[in-house]
Amino acid sequence: MSAGAVVWVVLGAAALLWGTVSSVGRELPGPIAALRWFARSWLGRALALCAWGGAGWHLFCQRP
Amino acid sequence: MSRALGVGLLAGAVAFCWWEGGLHQDQTAAHWSVLAVIGATLLATVLAGAGRQPEPVGRWARGPFPLRRHLAEDRAGTLGAALWVLVVAAVVGWDLNSFVHQAHDLPTLSSIFGHVTSSRAGRAGLFALWLALGATLALGWRRSRGRA
Repeated sequence: MSAGAVVWVVLGAAALLWGTVSSVGRELPGPIAALRWFARSWLGRALALCAWGGAGWHLFCQRP
Repeated sequence: MSRALGVGLLAGAVAFCWWEGGLHQDQTAAHWSVLAVIGATLLATVLAGAGRQPEPVGRWARGPFPLRRHLAEDRAGTLGAALWVLVVAAVVGWDLNSFVHQAHDLPTLSSIFGHVTSSRAGRAGLFALWLALGATLALGWRRSRGRA
């Protein structure tokens, strides 16, 4: 496994671990809370939808 | 929404995702279907959500800034949010670094997702997750109609 792939594994494990811990802990903001924060105003919702649309276009129509 | 309509919509979405999973990124049908989903989601956002945001933009944008007050009122929540920012910044930063260097041993996040979307099931599953996320962002957490 390349050095870059190892960094991705570490980052993915950290995100998964923190996502699990924060979802279980009631006092901690989990991934759903992050989405909910963006959806609180029209600007946040618009920004999140722009990122969502761009990611979809890249993943399903452009990705090399 | 009636149960039959819900089941019908779900079955339609599953069929649509499976059909999309069989497409390739270079195909015109893939481009049009993604553009149609983006357009429909934006339309649904406007139609379902006009005047139904829980918070005005100014208050939302200023919300995270009084850090001392947040730390005093909700220390665990504030530190937890900071950790999310750190994780996202690390992912974006490492992806940018990999993209700039364009080296074989530095895969980008896009190329990792490419391994998933290279199979029909992987592309269909990822497309389903993307659809669900878009629907949640467009329709979720709206203020009820009629409430001030």
